[in-house]
Amino acid sequence: MLLRYVTRRLLLMVPVALGVTLLVFLSIHMVPGSPAYTFLGPHATKNSVAAFNGEWGLDRPLPVQYWLFLDRLVHGNLGESLFYQSSVTSLISSRIPVTLSLLIGGAVLSVIIAVPLAAWAAVKSGKLTDQLIRFFSTAGLGMPSFWIGTTLIILFGLTFPLFPVGGYGNGFWGHVDSMFLPCLTIAISIAPMLLRSLRTSLIDALGSDYVAFARAKGTSARTVLMRYGFRNAAISAVSVLGINIGFLVGGTVIIETVFALPGLGQLMIASILDRDFPIVQGITLIFSVVVILVYLLTDVAYALLDPRVRL
Amino acid sequence: MKFSRSTIVVATVAVLTLATTNVVGAANRTPVARAKMIAHTAIQRGGTLTFNRVQDIVSLDPTQVTDNESIWADESIFEPLFAATPNGKSLVPDMATSYSVSANKLRWTFNLRQGVKFSNGQEMTSADAKFSIERVGAKASNPWTFINSDIASITTPSKFQVVVTTKTPWAPLQADMALFANGVIPNNFAGESATTFWNHPIGTGPFVVQQWLKGSELKLVRNTHYWQAGKPYLNGVNFVTVPDDNTRLLQLESGAAQIDEFPAWSQISELQSKSGITTKLFPSSWTQFLGFNEQYAFFKDVHVRRAISFAIDRAAIVKSVLYGHGTVANSQVTPALWDYNPKNPGLQYNLAQAKKEIALSKYAKGFKVKLLVGSGNQNELTMGQIVQSELAPLGITVTLQEVNGAQENTLQSTSQFQMSFLYDTTDIIDPDELMTFAAVGGSGAQGTHAEFTNYNNPQVDSLVTKAEGVFSQAARIKIYDQIQLILAQDPPMAYLFYQPFAYSFTTKLHGFSVFPTGNYHLENVWLSK
Repeated sequence: MLLRYVTRRLLLMVPVALGVTLLVFLSIHMVPGSPAYTFLGPHATKNSVAAFNGEWGLDRPLPVQYWLFLDRLVHGNLGESLFYQSSVTSLISSRIPVTLSLLIGGAVLSVIIAVPLAAWAAVKSGKLTDQLIRFFSTAGLGMPSFWIGTTLIILFGLTFPLFPVGGYGNGFWGHVDSMFLPCLTIAISIAPMLLRSLRTSLIDALGSDYVAFARAKGTSARTVLMRYGFRNAAISAVSVLGINIGFLVGGTVIIETVFALPGLGQLMIASILDRDFPIVQGITLIFSVVVILVYLLTDVAYALLDPRVRL
Repeated sequence: MKFSRSTIVVATVAVLTLATTNVVGAANRTPVARAKMIAHTAIQRGGTLTFNRVQDIVSLDPTQVTDNESIWADESIFEPLFAATPNGKSLVPDMATSYSVSANKLRWTFNLRQGVKFSNGQEMTSADAKFSIERVGAKASNPWTFINSDIASITTPSKFQVVVTTKTPWAPLQADMALFANGVIPNNFAGESATTFWNHPIGTGPFVVQQWLKGSELKLVRNTHYWQAGKPYLNGVNFVTVPDDNTRLLQLESGAAQIDEFPAWSQISELQSKSGITTKLFPSSWTQFLGFNEQYAFFKDVHVRRAISFAIDRAAIVKSVLYGHGTVANSQVTPALWDYNPKNPGLQYNLAQAKKEIALSKYAKGFKVKLLVGSGNQNELTMGQIVQSELAPLGITVTLQEVNGAQENTLQSTSQFQMSFLYDTTDIIDPDELMTFAAVGGSGAQGTHAEFTNYNNPQVDSLVTKAEGVFSQAARIKIYDQIQLILAQDPPMAYLFYQPFAYSFTTKLHGFSVFPTGNYHLENVWLSK
């Protein structure tokens, strides 16, 4: 049952991803601004612009250009960057690990922060601990991520130099070291929403009849919290986490800029400004696939947590 | 209800452990560098310079790049026949040691430096120079074709002699040969395919490419075959892309980087008094101005252009945009260039005079005009608002037309604007590039119609052409003085200010200087311990 559901969702990804690329292709070509003038600089002449457009096929009708993009795509080729004059696939592939580790690390840290605090707040519902946790989570919601990032750099990069001030580092541990503050920035942005959702659901779950029944049977507080509380509360929290990660995919550029991370977000913005169409299309495709996969994983997790979804 | 807190505690401890202890590898980092000023007399060798820059480079091929980041990085890898002096006033030998010009001024013989080796150990010869110079204009779409457009042919009579024949007597040729795009690479890419070659290019410059992580970092290491004995002093240079102003500065302060390219103007004064950091404003060829498109009837009227030029308080713009770190302009040429005419008063802020001029025009009651500005470009938005308020007393209603950067670029390059903020820098120290770009109308070698303004003054065109054929610098200066005086009275654009190149760097860095053309010679740079 679950396998059929996942297969159907995976097949649905194809038209959605293609639809996204078509929309992006049309919108970026409709916005005025030519890559030829950006590439050739202020000394561009009509002849050199025509030669550039001819060389890169930019003078061909839009449907032809899109068809060529699709044709290359089915052969696993995303084309050549107009500016770097090298394969889009190689440019993107070197940046995927940076953005993915930022997303995954941020999500993991946000869970590590939110889950215990939500449990603590739910158990101490209405008391000072709960009020303090809710206060800080509200404050976290109000802080923009570029400010959080810069503050963390000043605090843990300069005042207490524990982590690098930006960059991706060298080697595995260098990457881990460099990615901690960016991931923490993401976590601080996401955790409050996750925490609040989890806290509310936990309070509901812990006040339900089945929990009262479990307690009456003599089940330990820990078992009640873990088996009955978290499992039920996690259903809504998983949705919140999934939606936020989906939004973050497009928003990584801010974190990547503040921490000078060579990720997809930075490349995307630079390519939009330069009108480097092949890169924009390539990254859009990757982003749309990642977002669809995140939502799919969210739905699968939801289905695993709540058997009623599979009925 | 009582229950165990261990679940909460385990997770909380994990977070705190990660946050308060260094994950791995931070043991060697030192606290914030608060370097003491140490007098260094002896040059120290070694070390790798981390140079934080605003944007990434786009190509290592000097014939294909127009962005400054690529140009300035390429100049550490390739060297042309001549180089500018640090003050940008004259040229010194680089890959050529001397030259002579025939009596008819058409035939230039360049004698190459002997014993120079490329980074692969191969000897540099005239065949390499010919191949490299010819590549610049090999394709119509090459951006620097116009620089070499007066070259008729190139021959190599001997192993170390290159003869360039021009179509007309062409005085700027020596400066053209100092253009980065004419940097020497091995003939036929040293037998490699062009693609393979440009992944790991070979040049005669002080550094050679170790690794290029496109979009983030270019790592250079010293060229062990470099022809200047004992140079470069550094083991390597890492050009790192850090777009955010704050992050570039924080990395400099933490010691993670040694140079911060273009610190924010708002931070300059504070940085100038910060210990451990040197902040310098290097004189540049950068002139910022307000261009008038003469395709529109009101800008065909010289009195309108003069009125606007008189109405703008340039000092206020310098204060608002550059926080006072620039100079009011009186010409399209900056004082850093040898053709600058200090006696040219230009049209300066004088509201009474502005009102007189607009009264003399056909538009005494004013008119409505659009000013193109880049959305998100805070400097242009600020300048736009100042211009908007300052033209109001003349009855000129200015509407800001906000577009994104790429669109602004295209609209400017295709003259699809009424007024627009434009700027000039030069890539060679000879005035010819700037003059033909920003003053000559019609379709000269660059065909930009006076930098897209469609200004057309046959007297200016004729003087620029005349200067190209005059070989005495003193005689050329007189011609360019005359051009600047004409442009001041019949302005194609309102010259606003001269903008320096701002850099912050650690006090441990020595020998770093930026030329008026914006480039730097990193073979002279060294780091003290």
